[in-house]
Amino acid sequence: MALTGMRGLSVFISDVRNCQNKEQERLRVDKELGNIRTRFKNEKALTHYKKKKYVWKMLYIYMLGYDVDFGHMEAVSLISAPKYPEKQVGYIVTSCLLTENHEFLRMVINTVRNDIIGRNETFQCLALTMVGNIGGKEFSESLATDVQKLLVSSSCRPLVRKKAALCLLRLYRKNPDVVNIDGWSDRMSQLLDERDLGVLTSVMSLFVALVSNNVEAYWNCLPKCVKILERLGRNQDVPQEYTYHGIPSPWIQVKTMRALQYFPTIEDPNTKRALFEVLQRILMGTDVVKNVNKNNAAHAILFEALALVVHLDAEKEMMSQCVALLGKFVAVREPNIRYLGLENMTRMLLVSDVQDIIKSHQAQIIISLKDPDISIRRRALDLLYGMCDVTNAKDIVEELLQYLNTADFAMREELALKAAILAEKFAPDLSWYVDVILQLIDKAGDFVSDDIWYRVVQFVTNNEDLQPYAATKAREYLEKPVLHETMVKVSAYLLGEYNHLLARRTGCTPKEIFIIINEKLPTVTTSTVAIVLSTYAKILMHNHPPDPELQEQIWSIFRKYESYIDVEIQQRAVEYIALCNKGAALVDVLAEMPKFPERQSALLKKAEVAEVDTAEQSAIRIRSQQQTSNALVVTDQRPTEGSLPVSQLGVVRMPSGKMDQTSFQDQGMTKENGVITEVVPQDVPPADLLGDLLGPLAINGSPATAVPVEQRNQNLLSVVEATPEAAGSLALTTVDNQPNSIQPIVNIAERFNELCLKDSGVLYEDLHIQIGIKAEWQAHHGHIVLFLGNKNTSPLVSVQALILPPTHLKMELSLVPETVPPRAQVQCPLEFVNLRASRDVAVLDFSYKFGTAMVYVKLRLPAVINKFLQPISVTAEEFFAQWKSLSGPPLKLQEVLRGVKPLSLPEMANLFTSLHLAVNPGIDTNPNNLIACTTFYSESTRATLCLIRVETDPSDRTQLRITIASGDPTLTFELKESIKEYLVNIPTQTSSAVVAPSQPQSPVTPVAYNDPGAMLAGLL
Amino acid sequence: MIRAVIVMNTQGKPRLLKFYEFQPPEKQHELTRSVFAVLSGRPDNVSNFVEADAIFGPGTRLVYKHLATLYFVFVFDSCENELAMLDLIQVLVETLDRCFKNVCELDIVFNFNKMHTILDEIIFGGQVLETSSERVLKAVEEISRLEKSSSSVSFVPKSVSGRFGR
Repeated sequence: MALTGMRGLSVFISDVRNCQNKEQERLRVDKELGNIRTRFKNEKALTHYKKKKYVWKMLYIYMLGYDVDFGHMEAVSLISAPKYPEKQVGYIVTSCLLTENHEFLRMVINTVRNDIIGRNETFQCLALTMVGNIGGKEFSESLATDVQKLLVSSSCRPLVRKKAALCLLRLYRKNPDVVNIDGWSDRMSQLLDERDLGVLTSVMSLFVALVSNNVEAYWNCLPKCVKILERLGRNQDVPQEYTYHGIPSPWIQVKTMRALQYFPTIEDPNTKRALFEVLQRILMGTDVVKNVNKNNAAHAILFEALALVVHLDAEKEMMSQCVALLGKFVAVREPNIRYLGLENMTRMLLVSDVQDIIKSHQAQIIISLKDPDISIRRRALDLLYGMCDVTNAKDIVEELLQYLNTADFAMREELALKAAILAEKFAPDLSWYVDVILQLIDKAGDFVSDDIWYRVVQFVTNNEDLQPYAATKAREYLEKPVLHETMVKVSAYLLGEYNHLLARRTGCTPKEIFIIINEKLPTVTTSTVAIVLSTYAKILMHNHPPDPELQEQIWSIFRKYESYIDVEIQQRAVEYIALCNKGAALVDVLAEMPKFPERQSALLKKAEVAEVDTAEQSAIRIRSQQQTSNALVVTDQRPTEGSLPVSQLGVVRMPSGKMDQTSFQDQGMTKENGVITEVVPQDVPPADLLGDLLGPLAINGSPATAVPVEQRNQNLLSVVEATPEAAGSLALTTVDNQPNSIQPIVNIAERFNELCLKDSGVLYEDLHIQIGIKAEWQAHHGHIVLFLGNKNTSPLVSVQALILPPTHLKMELSLVPETVPPRAQVQCPLEFVNLRASRDVAVLDFSYKFGTAMVYVKLRLPAVINKFLQPISVTAEEFFAQWKSLSGPPLKLQEVLRGVKPLSLPEMANLFTSLHLAVNPGIDTNPNNLIACTTFYSESTRATLCLIRVETDPSDRTQLRITIASGDPTLTFELKESIKEYLVNIPTQTSSAVVAPSQPQSPVTPVAYNDPGAMLAGLL
Repeated sequence: MIRAVIVMNTQGKPRLLKFYEFQPPEKQHELTRSVFAVLSGRPDNVSNFVEADAIFGPGTRLVYKHLATLYFVFVFDSCENELAMLDLIQVLVETLDRCFKNVCELDIVFNFNKMHTILDEIIFGGQVLETSSERVLKAVEEISRLEKSSSSVSFVPKSVSGRFGR
């Protein structure tokens, strides 16, 4: 029996196999390792053959999961052995055991090079394989040229060349400089002409790697790829050994189509036509056959073709064909095809116009949600999640809820989260949303994260109409004998806040509610006890007329917890007892929680984070990243005493803008007591609707410091408040105040002031982002484009822009993309309509995430009153006629300003010009005075003439007298105050900001048939 | 690219491990075990695809074939086509079958060194090298000849391996 050489190895393997347990195996392995170690150490003249045997044993031991921390040197040294078998072992074992940076590799680099440039093909192959598996940067530098030579050599056998191609790919990954782009696009193009399909397989992989890094350089290869597809598609010149189950190399076909997906588009019409013919043939000619392998291969090609069609944004007809095919696949029995059908349909969701067809397969997809294969169930869940919108949310979410009962544990958390997100995003009405979340908690409490129930509490708190409903539901759930603890938390919280709303219903007296909650108390953990104690305190407050028995019961519970081991609970108990003795103050302290300031749902944020996937560079992915956008959230705040009721506009993805306005309003909006959930389609936001919703607001422009620490603080505090435990507690919470680490690199206040005087420029800039502005103003309309420029090479994520519009501006906002791609600039247009005169400023609440750092800034938008002015020249007669008719306050106001920035008259004229005030020389005879006229535009008043007169004192430039007149008292006042701000606190860079003076002060001519100076004096 | 090739038996014993991105041995062991845990829980007649994000990191997929007492597993990222990977497993299996004449687990256990040679002719640095099992076979035979001619090494015939087996 020719067991000569490897007998020792076979015996060893056999021994290991015969070990009864892990312990025996370890002993055997240790013994062998000891043996090998001794041999390597003591027998200096170990033959190559023996070394080989031991090295194989090492690899076997390594595979079993034992660390082999010696003998690497011996393995590496075998590479230099003269004979093939030893050399082979050396190469194979080295590439399994060592990392690319291992120092031993450096020692053999010359041997490897000699093998590569040597004449022995088998040595070449071994060396290439090792380098291709573990070659690092050093190999790349010293071997790339030689490997390239092998690849393009005409004398090398395909066996060597195909390895050279992939070896080069590895070296290119380690050091992209090894492939010189200029020379390579032609070379690549030639390589793609390769007839040998083995070599072509490797070349195509190399091509995909090159093209994924630099599409531009390889446009010339595009027709070649199409040719390859044609050749394989027609089965021309394909040797039998490369037809796999009758299909010409499916791998090359798939890879070629993958490569084509890196090209953004195909411009040449002939190439395009040829490609579409190929694709058409694939789409039409693929049938499900009996042979599993053939089926797989054919569908591998088909699915890649589908992806390519989607990427190329083919005509609608072809797209529908694809969706039809996918529709067929999601219904087939063959699990692999169904799996990929579901996956590709999810990808198809990015294509506009096909959503409706996809929706028609909803029932079929739901069936896959119950498939025995978890992989398929996951795909189905993803697809349902992706295809959900307001039209089918109810069906899908209810289906998910039902599935939750039987779903395997591995999926429940994801399922619960997705159901919660969909319910929030697409709720047709809020009570349904509450139902869904409570059901979720009831059915899968363990898998419902705190975020989910915090969110429902936020919604209920902010929506008065919802409160009785939610309280009733909570009360109903408490009837259940077994209740998940999270449900106890929500119910206790809701009933604490709103038990008084149920007062007249049966079983809902404070006492009854107390009793039913108290039944749960013994079984819950401390975090729930804390909430329950707060609930009791609140019940006590609503205990009217006082029920002494209830009071005593609650007090006794408080007293019991007064000495509880948990300090939080102890504190609550102590404080609530103290509060009870305060009498009337109790009512103030324990009043209902104020509404939460609106912010993005933590859930949605979570979902977004999960969606960020950097692994794939595919063209589709890149495009889809650019497409997915996150809606602007508009908050509408009305000041009430201390608390800010917030009506919330959740913006929702609509089914491709197909709905008309009415159905849009019916389905997308529910208006409940001034609380509006509004849905804005991505395409065309209905202008009026939005405008109306942003009703009267009153927000004063906040100081545009980059990161107002106080603001941050408030934010943090409000976050803390949002968690109901903290909210209910009286215990002081310390908040870590972490100001932004990213600081702006421009003076934001200065920028704002500048932009008040001109229409384009930089509003904000920091290390990562630059926000530029370009504005156009026409009468009472304004159009601002925000340019968000990412300065980095990595994307900015979680980009959010929140606009706080003041009451006098109607705003229409476009969508802000959630991600700003690297080095890209995104434009976000904003539309303004001026309703009336006001100096309030719109504030842009902007935030983004870079790495782990969240950056928040508040920026004032320069949509200020003077932007809605249009300069107008009037004659002296017109002026005086107006001036006279507007007599005295409130239409005409006068003020003496002191502490004015000293400005010469021409400078002041320039300032006025940039404020859109037309300086009218020659009306006032006094050369130290300035007359300016302008028209103010607003939706309510249209054009209103405003007249301004400034009287300066040449001896003291720091004081002046300003008189302003217009037909609207508010306008007069606001304009006066606004101009005053500019005069008293002139922006530092005024001179650079001001456009060239358009109307230089011409010398005043005193020759007038009427003495205007005297007239003016009389009028004033 | 293909991240890893794992051949293991239905008890979870590794028979061939090849990682195209270096993993320390304990990590290899852990990954193999996690893969086994997932695969052993899967019934027959389900799809051959498993999301491997939890095991191999985001975006990774796993395709496997269950044949007799063995699992053949390919782990790869989103740059590869799932079905094409499944086909490649088939190529590997067909090649082994031709090489060992009706391959069984024992062949693979005792010829694990030969397995490396075969695999190296099909997958190279995580990329598909050769898809024609005829060509792979030819290359492997050439290597065997070389091994024999320069020393007297051959792979263990099945009859002998049976002697050592249980």
